[in-house]
Amino acid sequence: MIKIHLDPRTKLVMIFAVSFIVMVNAVSTIEWIVRIIVTLIPVFLLANEGKHVSAIRFLLCYAAAILLLKYYISAESTGILSALLLGYCGIVAQFMPAMIMAWYVIHTTKIGEFMSAMQKMHIPDGISVSLAVVMRFFPTIKEECLSINDAMKMRDISFGGGRITKMIEYRLVPLMFSCLNIGDELSAAAVTRGLGAQVRRTSPVQLKIKAVDWLMIVIFLLSMIIFVISKYFR
Amino acid sequence: MKDNKLNIKDFITIGIFTALIFVVEFACGMLGFIHPYIVASYVVLIPLVGSIPMMLFYTKVEKFGMLTIMSVLIAIIMFVTGMGWLGAPLIIAAGLIADLIAKKGDYKSFKMTVPSHGVFCLWICANYFPVIVTAKDYRKSLLDGGYSAEYCDALFRAINGKTIAILLALCFIFGMIGAFVGKAVVRKHFEKAGIA
Repeated sequence: MIKIHLDPRTKLVMIFAVSFIVMVNAVSTIEWIVRIIVTLIPVFLLANEGKHVSAIRFLLCYAAAILLLKYYISAESTGILSALLLGYCGIVAQFMPAMIMAWYVIHTTKIGEFMSAMQKMHIPDGISVSLAVVMRFFPTIKEECLSINDAMKMRDISFGGGRITKMIEYRLVPLMFSCLNIGDELSAAAVTRGLGAQVRRTSPVQLKIKAVDWLMIVIFLLSMIIFVISKYFR
Repeated sequence: MKDNKLNIKDFITIGIFTALIFVVEFACGMLGFIHPYIVASYVVLIPLVGSIPMMLFYTKVEKFGMLTIMSVLIAIIMFVTGMGWLGAPLIIAAGLIADLIAKKGDYKSFKMTVPSHGVFCLWICANYFPVIVTAKDYRKSLLDGGYSAEYCDALFRAINGKTIAILLALCFIFGMIGAFVGKAVVRKHFEKAGIA
């Protein structure tokens, strides 16, 4: 199978469109169809990039939420369990597309590509560098969290012995320590690579918008337009 | 030599702390599924817990613009995660004002840091904007989105045009209290280690 490699700018358009669609609630059938298509595309792209496990996980989760919402629960159902279930499924069905999209973009965009795309769009350095760091940091924070969890388990500090303040302190403080250290290393690395120098940076990655990119841009813009029309001009 | 322009190290610091703040916000946000009143209590939870990374961030802030850029980043992330753009002006305004207040104290005086953090915490209220501005639509979208009618009623009892003033005030007050809490934690853990 050929690998589809999208331009970061295309991914930005996709993110923009998906977050827009996620905000508007789908009522009619056509809106639901658009929404499901928009969700399936990043899932397919994830599988295409070789991340089969997460693609399948997302797909199952989303399908379960949609089916439950459609067939088992309505707004009238009461009781704590169904309320919880309802809330959970609602959230998944509503925000899953954005989450999958964000996951896809974070896990498949190289920082170099991202920076070069930002530079091409003339975004100021302050925003692009900070945003790149945020993007790179979410997976790191998750990893650090897991390690801290293990370390705390080893010392028998699970949930801080019932005290919520201790729990927060014992998790957050080590996390901040390691993040600061990583940050120092990161800035050293960035300076070595010439970030922040007065000259325009060149990039080994040549960004080009290809046919696939245009296809994606058209699909996502179209789906956005469908949503706008069905929302405001009906 | 004191350089007033932001350099690459500052940008990276901003990125790291924005990610940390967002993780805190996300963790607190998860609690909101349990009961709508918890959604209203974000104004207490997030300033208190988020103050710990924020206070450490304040020790790193030395130049104008860092808090503003952070608020822009928060606005972008809020948009991408589907919270809407309605809150973006409030978030950025809060960041800018907080920046100006902190600048008054030259980013060193704790007296100025306290109100500055209070103002910065107002961004949390941006989460509520879709609830207030588009109350009817939002209610419908929640119902369609699968929330129960109970949840919606309770949510709108807690958050509406009248209570937003109280929520904003609470945000500010707990932001200031949070500044003391955060400072205490930073002093306990980081100053001893020589990091802050």
